[in-house]
Amino acid sequence: MVRFSPLTGTAGLLFFILSAFLAFSVWYGCETQNPETVDFNTEVRPILNAQCLACHGGVRQAGGFSLLFPEEALEQTESGKSALVPGHPDASEMMTRILHHDPEMRMPLESDPLSDKEAEIIRRWIEQGAQWDVHWAYIAPQPVDLPAVRDKNWPKNGIDAFILNRLENEKLTPSKKADCGTLIRRVGLDLIGLPPSPDDVRSFCADPSDEAYEYHVNKLLESPHFGERWAAMWLDLARYADSKGYEKDPHRSIWRYRDWVIHAFNRDLPFDRFTIEQLAGDLLDEPDDEQLIATAFHRNTMTNTEGGTDDEEFRIAAVVDRVNTTWEVWQGTTMACVQCHSHPYDPFRHEDYFRFFAFLNNTEDADRDDEAPLFSEYTNEQLKQLETLSARIDSLHQIKETSVFQTISHSTHEDVSVAVDSLITRTEQQKRDIRPVTTPIIRELAESEQRTTRFFEGGNWLAQTFEVQPGVPASLNPFPADAPNNRLGVAQWLMNPNNPLTSRVIVNRFWDQVFGRGIVETIEDFGTQGSPPSHPELLDWLALRFMNEHEWSVKSLLKEIVMSATYRQSSSVTHNHLYRDPDNILLARAPRFRLSAEQVRDKTLFVSGLLSPKLFGPSVMPPQPEGIWRNPYSNMAWITSEGEDRYRRGIYTYLRRTAPYPSMLTFDGTSREVCVSRRVRTNTPLQALVLLNDPVYVEAAIALAGRMYEQGGKELDVQLKEGFFMALARDPNHDELTELRNFYSHILDEFNRSPGDAAVFMETEETPDLHLASLALTASVILNLDSFVMKE
Amino acid sequence: MSIRYEANLKTVEFVTRKHFLKKCVTGLGAMALGSLIGGCDSSGAIQTLAGMSASPFTPKPPHFLAKAKSVIFLHMAGAPSQLELFDYKPELHKLHGQDCPPSLLDGKRFAFIEGVPKMLGPQATFKKHGESGAIVSNLLPHFSQIVDDVTFLKAVQTEEFNHAPGQLLMQTGHSRPGFPSFGSWVTYGLGSENQNLPGFVVLLSGANQPDAGRSVFGSGFLPSVYQGVQCRSEGDPVLYLSNPEGVSRNMRRMAIDAINNINEQQFREIGDPEIMSRISQYEMAYRMQISAPEIMDIKKEPESIHQMYGTTPGEASFANNCLLARRLVERGVRFVQLFHWGWDAHGVDKSEALNYGFLERCREVDKPMSALVLDLKQRGLLDETIIVWGGEFGRTPMLENRGGTDNPFVGRDHHNEAFTMWVAGGGFKQGFSYGETDEIGYHAVSGKVHIHDLQATLLHQLGMDHEKLTYHFQGRDFRLTDVHGHIVKDILA
Repeated sequence: MVRFSPLTGTAGLLFFILSAFLAFSVWYGCETQNPETVDFNTEVRPILNAQCLACHGGVRQAGGFSLLFPEEALEQTESGKSALVPGHPDASEMMTRILHHDPEMRMPLESDPLSDKEAEIIRRWIEQGAQWDVHWAYIAPQPVDLPAVRDKNWPKNGIDAFILNRLENEKLTPSKKADCGTLIRRVGLDLIGLPPSPDDVRSFCADPSDEAYEYHVNKLLESPHFGERWAAMWLDLARYADSKGYEKDPHRSIWRYRDWVIHAFNRDLPFDRFTIEQLAGDLLDEPDDEQLIATAFHRNTMTNTEGGTDDEEFRIAAVVDRVNTTWEVWQGTTMACVQCHSHPYDPFRHEDYFRFFAFLNNTEDADRDDEAPLFSEYTNEQLKQLETLSARIDSLHQIKETSVFQTISHSTHEDVSVAVDSLITRTEQQKRDIRPVTTPIIRELAESEQRTTRFFEGGNWLAQTFEVQPGVPASLNPFPADAPNNRLGVAQWLMNPNNPLTSRVIVNRFWDQVFGRGIVETIEDFGTQGSPPSHPELLDWLALRFMNEHEWSVKSLLKEIVMSATYRQSSSVTHNHLYRDPDNILLARAPRFRLSAEQVRDKTLFVSGLLSPKLFGPSVMPPQPEGIWRNPYSNMAWITSEGEDRYRRGIYTYLRRTAPYPSMLTFDGTSREVCVSRRVRTNTPLQALVLLNDPVYVEAAIALAGRMYEQGGKELDVQLKEGFFMALARDPNHDELTELRNFYSHILDEFNRSPGDAAVFMETEETPDLHLASLALTASVILNLDSFVMKE
Repeated sequence: MSIRYEANLKTVEFVTRKHFLKKCVTGLGAMALGSLIGGCDSSGAIQTLAGMSASPFTPKPPHFLAKAKSVIFLHMAGAPSQLELFDYKPELHKLHGQDCPPSLLDGKRFAFIEGVPKMLGPQATFKKHGESGAIVSNLLPHFSQIVDDVTFLKAVQTEEFNHAPGQLLMQTGHSRPGFPSFGSWVTYGLGSENQNLPGFVVLLSGANQPDAGRSVFGSGFLPSVYQGVQCRSEGDPVLYLSNPEGVSRNMRRMAIDAINNINEQQFREIGDPEIMSRISQYEMAYRMQISAPEIMDIKKEPESIHQMYGTTPGEASFANNCLLARRLVERGVRFVQLFHWGWDAHGVDKSEALNYGFLERCREVDKPMSALVLDLKQRGLLDETIIVWGGEFGRTPMLENRGGTDNPFVGRDHHNEAFTMWVAGGGFKQGFSYGETDEIGYHAVSGKVHIHDLQATLLHQLGMDHEKLTYHFQGRDFRLTDVHGHIVKDILA
């Protein structure tokens, strides 16, 4: 148990450093201590957070009393009394007020008194010395041994030992292994965001051995679509969009950053490099082009181009956003709270905010409409075009100088010469018309132009007071001695092995993506108000492995997760599951949850055979209803893409912040105006309307029917089975097949009665193929099934 | 159907049990189940609820007895000038054309005014109306007839003086994006009375969408099911509502039956309650396909009603939207949000200038907004419906002089220290005026109402305590009113 005597005046820093050396974790202490001893973190802190800190915490210190930092709690209050006298509850004003019979005097004011049990906990806590324990998340993870399990056969790797140990303690048993089709579909969706092809399913089901599974996993990890799937997660955090935000919400060219992220995941750029390049690529020694593009991470903040706005106000808004986003993404810390006052619940002081702000406050960008500084470059395609044009100019010059040309008569010579010259001029113009792709990037201001950062009173940028120096909060690991005192140093500080949060927060993000719920459910908040980890030892074990064994390799981490027996379970839900663990926290079964907005689109297009495998490039505009873009003072138009760009993966869909692609929004996609860690999954009638009626999905159903027709031979049942298999990676059972067959024949009857409808539906002027039209509506039924939109 | 019924019951049972068992740290333990669910659980539980129960819009009891059931919010995007409509300042007449005294400019930030602007007298004439003697300009002849039904708030204040941040503050309580809008909070807290229509409907008119985009009716960090659903007069009334061409209602019914039958078999096999929820969402979608077009079709309204509102079926006009708003609240929709764009009268552009475009805007809204009040009143719905009218801020008593030079037309700059809004119905006083500005309408003198106060008061009328309507996100309980807001008791009937 890590305990600190709350010595008055002891700096927070000291005891947090001490804590790092005391190699015990909080939850271990609980098991060995005297049962009479009150545990601060699990028993006392929840009461303080819920009942006291709103008035006696970081925001307000009513009566001059705050319970956030021990040294403050032990000071005399404004009344001159001591709120807390360690060892003496009866002499502590806090206890007196909690137990006071007069409601006007009793704490908490204007609410119900503490329960007898709660009051007793506080009393014993004071009696036992009123000691504060550090919240678990601020103590660096410590090595743990794999727990013992009774069933030695089930675990396939370390993850399983932790999961099974807990299940055995809870008298639960893991579920059986998922069937081959479900498993291979699941792992495809998880690793590359796409389902397997029917051939993949068949070959895996012919040999569903561990080796075959591993082979398949390796193949997925090497797929170029791996990066697209994981970039989808990262872009929500990076608040990536194709527009600047606010009123006119004009176009922003920043897709090169999106491609950088995809490529980084594909080449398995170690997560520490991934972090450093995004936060401070410009400050590396001789950064290459890609490292400069990476810094666009923090250029995804909004730019306000509305008339009559103060650029400094919105430059500061962007820096505030960068501070909050950095803390949310890497530290799972709600630093946004600290802009206006000290953190209400966690050990972060108001000044900490602006010390960190100072690190990010010295970049060149300043909410200018032109978004300078920009990185300009030609794409490979453009370079080729330029080369071709240059070659053409060269050859035109040569023509002028050739002997043939010289020998022709003078007047003709002049005519031709003029013609060639005009050709040269035109070609040179064509060259100039090829504009380089620009990307807003982060660039540090020159030493002489650096801004002074001041403290914002109450978080208000118009009330700036004393000057602050850059620094990180004392409650976390110290700034590395050898790190430069700038953004690069910040990135190194985040990725330092002593940082208690980074690795935990990041492995938890990946876990959340795969299992639908983090080991810490509040993946954005590891503070005392966040949810406690369901498997604390597993979290630490994974965090340490991610740093040490996997050496920050995301692919390696993900492989370990998907190779586990935990991951490979069936997702069927039994009565006992629902009764004992409705939220599936213990993982006695695999999770079952709805696919993301991007995945629903991608999977539908994939199954129907329409999906374009094209990687990278500017964002595209698949069909959307008329009239979605109606921004003031803007003539930007949605021009529906043609050819394969209509059918690209969702990650390439143009995202305008004030009017995002509507069907994505319906499936909980975000507007990317701010960093979002967790999309709350919903289930609404509007989703049904998208899948049934959106022309994108209708087109996909017709295309799927075409595939069923082609590959299913002449027999209806075979066609139906084929479609079902393509969509769900399994054969329909008897009842399902009957349902589909009956539906098909009813629809065929309808279309027979009014073939005109079929022609309209199939958008054909010729005699419609009634069979194909009926099959298309049947395909639409398949694409609307619960199993289709769920990861199972 | 019995297995569906049974499974639904089971689902609700689980959700309920879980919520009762979960320790509720915000101290709302004694509240009714609905509010308990709404108030003090982590988003994980909300998600479960939204995912599992029959509908996230199931009506939930308010915190206390409500005065009103629904809200129609008429947001005049671009910020109309209070000095031409409601806040009559004869003194400003006298100062017309004079240089603005430095005392009014020192330490002030303006969106466009630079140097020393001239003062601009009222660009309209004013007269007393009704028994209450409310002073209203000649630009609102219809509205002048209903002043005895409304309460004016003459000293409303906001922090923002740019449109997008101002609209965000008005609609989400925060001036940066990422927070749930008013309608989202209300439907999250109260559900809706009609399960076949979205609980929070948005209607747009004017040339453009609101300046802050869809975030002003987005759900922020609340589940996306609470985002405003835009209903449209052109194209599909709700996006993706119509069947693909050639697919009849009967065929759609068969498709939904086939989908639900297979899903039901799947439920029997693997037991995930989420499947039951999917089944009920498909049923709701089908019902919405029938009821939404019906409600959006105003053609069948009697001629007298069209006369009253000045409506022409098929247009995306403010008038049509006012009539639709009535039809929606009549059928139990909780929150109807109108935006009418085009009030930004700087004088730079004719289309928005006080002496041109502004007059058109007045004509566009005057009759329908007055008709809306009267129509709800004659149907006995005004008492239980709150109508709110206003822009995101007000305008300066000074003539705008962009870049220090004269504009081609007459206009005023953005002003956030005092402007006028009005409310009607829903338990507010009638024929009442609250708050005063100084003699030129520049500073609020008494009866100040901050945006957060307005929000707190509107929630209060809906039976909700703005400090208890919270959602746990990023470690704290967020509210519409952030950490502010006082109920303006003086305007309650």
